[in-house]
Formats: sequence, structure tokens, C-alpha cells
Amino acid sequence: MSALAESRVSPAARSDLLSWITTTDHKRIGILYLSTSLVYFAVAGALALAIRTQLARPGNTLVTPHTYAQLFTLHGTAMIFLFVAPFALGLANFLIPLQIGAPDMAFPRLNATSYWLFLFGGLVVFSGAATNEGAAAAGWTSYVPLSAIKVSTGLGQDLWIVGVFLVSVATILTAVNFVTTIFIYRAPGMTMWRIPIFTWEMVATSLLIFMAFPSLAADLLLLFVDRRLGGHAFDPAAGGNVVLWQHLFWFFGHPEVYVMILPYFGVISEIVPVFSRKPIFGYTGLVLAAFAIAGLSMGVWAHHMFTTGAVNNPFFSFLSFLIAVPTGVKFFNWIATMWRGSISFETPMLFAIGFLLNFLLGGVTGVMIASPAVDYMAHDSYFVVAHFHYVLGGGSLFAIFAALFFWWPKMFGVKLDETLGKWCFWLLFVGFNVTFLPMHLMGLEGMPRRVFTYPDTGRLAELNAIATFGSYVMLAGVALFVWNVVLSTARGEPVGDDPWGANSLEWATSSPPPEHNFDRIPPIRSERPVYDLRRSGGRAP
Amino acid sequence: MRVQTLPAAATKQASILAGDWLLFAVSGLLVALLVWGLIGFALARWRRTRASDEPPQFRNNYPLEIAWTAVPLIFVCVLFFFGYRAEASVDALGARPDVVVHVDAYRWGWQFRYEGGPVVGGSAGSPVLGSAAAPPPQLVLPLGETTRIELTSSDVTHSFWVPDFYFKRDAIPGQVSSFDLQPDRLGIFPGRCAQFCGLDHALMTFTVRVVAPARFAVWRREAGAR
Repeated sequence: MSALAESRVSPAARSDLLSWITTTDHKRIGILYLSTSLVYFAVAGALALAIRTQLARPGNTLVTPHTYAQLFTLHGTAMIFLFVAPFALGLANFLIPLQIGAPDMAFPRLNATSYWLFLFGGLVVFSGAATNEGAAAAGWTSYVPLSAIKVSTGLGQDLWIVGVFLVSVATILTAVNFVTTIFIYRAPGMTMWRIPIFTWEMVATSLLIFMAFPSLAADLLLLFVDRRLGGHAFDPAAGGNVVLWQHLFWFFGHPEVYVMILPYFGVISEIVPVFSRKPIFGYTGLVLAAFAIAGLSMGVWAHHMFTTGAVNNPFFSFLSFLIAVPTGVKFFNWIATMWRGSISFETPMLFAIGFLLNFLLGGVTGVMIASPAVDYMAHDSYFVVAHFHYVLGGGSLFAIFAALFFWWPKMFGVKLDETLGKWCFWLLFVGFNVTFLPMHLMGLEGMPRRVFTYPDTGRLAELNAIATFGSYVMLAGVALFVWNVVLSTARGEPVGDDPWGANSLEWATSSPPPEHNFDRIPPIRSERPVYDLRRSGGRAP
Repeated sequence: MRVQTLPAAATKQASILAGDWLLFAVSGLLVALLVWGLIGFALARWRRTRASDEPPQFRNNYPLEIAWTAVPLIFVCVLFFFGYRAEASVDALGARPDVVVHVDAYRWGWQFRYEGGPVVGGSAGSPVLGSAAAPPPQLVLPLGETTRIELTSSDVTHSFWVPDFYFKRDAIPGQVSSFDLQPDRLGIFPGRCAQFCGLDHALMTFTVRVVAPARFAVWRREAGAR
């Protein structure tokens, strides 16, 4: 007992560089994943600012068309493959064993492999910028024949293929780890119907990864074979089919959207109850909705292809409409969780509310463009740019900040400053909406996506100027977050095990947790073991 | 001050699609306002007033949960129906089009080949290819008559987009896509490539000029003679 007590005070873990490189501890791998993805976010955000600066006024010549094409290709690739999805994997890496009362992941070394594949995959993508013809410049969707060797002759495109392939392998391996860990490493009493919603969302996410990512990997391999080994899969002159690329890509690409949002639905489902002092409303409904979304999302890929004239539009339209139903269920459950609660507005809750408000608009425009009749106008225009930024920026990004503020004390034992945090929220919330709300109108004014310039017609000039201003406000918000981290780390005021009055098991251990996670696991008799513990006065009931 | 958000429809098909835009935008905004309202109400009504508040710990209400699954389900089915009806009538091809134009998109310009002549088109200028800026190529269509477009590409994937027509269709190499346009408004409408196709994608524009049928016949003769 005394040995245990001692290890709780000092985890006695090595913290030199070598110990981080060789670590198989899920918490450290999680933190590596999170910090790496945040660095990629900073890079992708800088690229976005360059894009917005180029578009600040019509006819701007800040960057060349070739540089611009690289900017938006790397921006999209980094945000999607290297930030929003991997951040979720990092968070899940840190949280899943803690939430289910396990000492580590099922396959710790495989887990480390995933991280290193992810890190180097991203570096390989960016290394294209150092080649003669620059980095990949065919967009994150890399449509053929644009990405074929005849058109994109540079090595940057090949490095993009290899890098994204490495990341997709890393993602599949991580999903194997998550599912195995959740299914067989749960603590006594932790039945499947008691695991936190975040962990449930990671089950659904992992299953989506199993189904979607092999399609991406196959697509990338085919493209590589076409480019470098004389294949003709996508060459119409040799009997190939260019639409095949789109099918395989979106068969991955649409489930990928849910890989980038389901984990964050989980984050919101963890945070809203804590700051409302209520149990999550409709636990079963939330879990079923997650699987309904995951299942439906496998059958909607061709809604990205309504304007090809090569797919059955009504079928894919109808399934896309149906996704609105389980997503609506989640919204109503979150509102019902707040209903008659006792709501407080700490920074994680502010970001969660920001998520709800922004994501709702992304959902509504999503239902609009689920109809081909509407999509014929919106497709490939700034209306769609606005739509998916409301989903991934207004949605996922706000949940990411909510998660950072919420779990920071658990990860590092110190709390981020609340005043700076609230300023950070308001700058990001206002900046985000000023940036992306006008983009709906740009699309209706006829501005296509991925253009380095636009004519000075209608209100395009003023709308773009407003959006660019908004992006600088967002920069201020992100800078304030970095300052907050520096300041709070320097201050280093320790927090207790459970600074928020939270519910799930990770709050029952120390902050940060010892290497083996738990000295003692409290009895688990509901989906809120820490709440039960608090109610019984900290003693086992 | 008049704030115009949606372009004025310029074809028979566009009027149908514009009607759907209005339906979807208004019903979407109403749903958003309802949900934003519920969130705002909950936040204002139940904000924590005393540090020791312990609210009621309810966690289910099955009739309510069934209701908020079933009502949206019916709602999206209705929306789907209207969208489906609009799309079906826009995608339907007339039995006998008055004019047939083969449109070939290429990096970075457009060729419009009218069946029975003439062939017009060109590029608005491509800095990458070193060609100077020029007036964008023009597709001329007769007012009130049905023009069949047979769209393809000779290099990479492009997309034929005329915002005032509320319509775009991808130009895909190795595939011909057909659609009908029946302009019902005279004028010159900007068009452009919507699918990223390389460096001068942003400059790959064209215009559509809708003229009276008699003037169309004259134009066709004169353009054919040139």
C-alpha cells in the first residue's frame, strides 16, 4: 500500500528525449499525437492565412497561381489528414484506457508504430515543397487526370501519395488498437453500456476507418502505379476510367468526414453534462445515432459526384438526407442534457456551445446540398467551402479547443487560464463567423473554389475583404491560446484529480495519471463512476 | 438598399432549381432558428445561480426521443421529394432539341461546336500558356428554344457552370454528358470552370449570350461564313 501511495505522488517516469522517442505508454503517445497534430494545424493555418491574404482583393498578385495551388493543396491535406483526424486519434489514445479503466492499449508497440508512421507521413507530404517542381498542387482530392503523370509531372505529387498512404496505414493500425482495447480491456464493472459516450464514438469511428481507409490506400496505390509503373487504371485513352478515382476516393472521403466529426460528438457529449451537472440525456439514443450515422455514411459517397452525371443521384441524395435524422437526435439529446440543468460557462463549455451553434449551420447547409437540385448550383463553389468549414472548423475545431481546455489539467496537472481562455473563445467564435459566413454569399455570386483570383463583380470584393479580416481575428485567438499555454505552464498551479466535478473514470486518478493509470479503480456501477464516488463522499459506496 | 442573395434565374430549368433553393434555404433557416432558440433558451433559463445547485438527474424520455426521431424523418422525406421532383425535371432530356452544341472543355478554354455549324470558342487568355488576355469565348443560345449540350473534355476534368442557370455539369474526359437548356431571359451571362483543372483554372471563363431566335439564325449564318 505504501509503495502504491508513493507512486501516486511521484510517477517516477523518465522524461528525457529518448524516453519519449521509445515510449509505448498510451498517454505519451497520445500527447505526441496531439502536439504533432497541433504543429501541423499551425502550418495549415499559416497556409490558410496566405490564401486569405491573396484573396483579400480581386486581382491580387501576392502569390503565383502555382504557389496558390500548392497552398490550398497542402492546407486541405494537412487540416484533414494531419490535424482534425489525428487529433481525435491522439485524444482517444490518451483517454480510452483511462475511461475504461485499463493500464494501456492492447498493442502498445503497434500504437507507437502508428504515431511514427503518422509523423513521417506528414513530413513526406511536406517534403515535396523542397523538390524542383514544388509540392503537390492537385488539391487534397487529387482528381485524375489532373494528378496523372502527364499533367502533374513533379515529384511532389508522388511524395503526396506516399505520405498520405503512410498516414492511412497509421490510421488503420490505430483503429485496430482502439477496438481491441475497448472490447477486451475494460475494468471489472465497466460493461459496454457504461463506457463513456466518447469511447462509444471511437468504436463507431474505428469501424468506419476499417471500411473507408483501405479504399483510400487502394486508390493511392493505383495512382502511383499509373504514374510510375505504367498502369492505366485512370487513363481513358487506354480504357481506364477517371470517375473510378472519384468513387474510390469518396468511398473513403465521406466516411472520413465522420471520422473527423464522431469523436468530437463524443467530446461534446462528455463536456455538456459536466457543466450542466446532469447525466447525459439519452445515452442509448446517442450510441444508436452514432452507429446510424456511421452506417449511413458508407452509402452516401457519390453525393460528392452529383454533377458528374455518372451516378444515381436520387439514391445517394436520399441516404444523405437520412443522416440528418440521427444527427438531429444528437442535437436534441445535448439540448435535453442542458434542460433544467445548472449550467456554468467555463471555457470548455463555451467552446462546446460554439460547436453547437456553428455545427448546426454546417448541418443545415449539408441538408441543402444533399439535394442535387441545390447542389447543381452549390457544388465546387464557395457555398460548399463555407459548408464544410462550418462542419470541420466551426464544428470539429471548436470541439478540439473544448477538449484541450477540458482535459489539459488531466494531461499536464495544471489548468489553463480561464480569463485568457474566454478571450480565446470569443476571438475564435467571432473570427470564424466573420471569415466563413460571407463565403455562402460568395458561392451564390458565382465564385468557384480553388481560384487564385476573382473578377471585381457584384459584392465579391467586399465579401472577400471581410473574410480575410475574419481570418486575422482567428489568428489572434490562436496566438492567445499559445500564450495561455506558456503562461499556465510557467505558473504551474497544480490541480486536483477532478477540477471540473466530472463524471468519467479518468477523473478518478491523479493529474497527470501515473504510468500504470490507476492505483485503485473505484467501483463502476453506472456510466458516471466518479459522480457516484463524489455522491458517496469519496468512499466506495 | 436591396440585398440580392440569389441570382435571377435565366432558364426554364433554373426557375425550377431556384424554387428549390428558396424552399431549402427557408426551411433550413427555420430549423436552425428553432434549434438555436432552444439552445439559447436553455442557456439563459438554467444558468447556474448557486454554487451548490443540484438539478434533477433525469436521463430519458422515450416518447420525446421517438418524436424527435420521427418528425425529422418525415421532414427530410418531404424535402427529398421536392428535391427529387425538381432534379428529375431538370435532368430530363427533351425528345427533339432545337439546337445541339458539342462543348469541349480544355486547359484553359472552351470550344462550342454547333451541329450544322458553326464552331466557335477559344480562351480568355492564359498567362501560363503565354496567351494574352482576350474576351472570353461566347456560347450563343436562342431564347425560348431548347438547346442540347453534349459536354466532354479533351484533357482533365472541368465543370461547365453558369450561376444564372443554377446549374453546372462536369466535363469528364472519356465521357459525354447531355443536358438541356431553355433560356427564358435575354442577356449575357458569365460562365466559368468550376472544377480545379490546373494553374489557370481561375481564368477559364466564358459567357452565354441569349438572343431572339431570328437573331440567332442570323448569327449562325454569319459565324459559319467567317
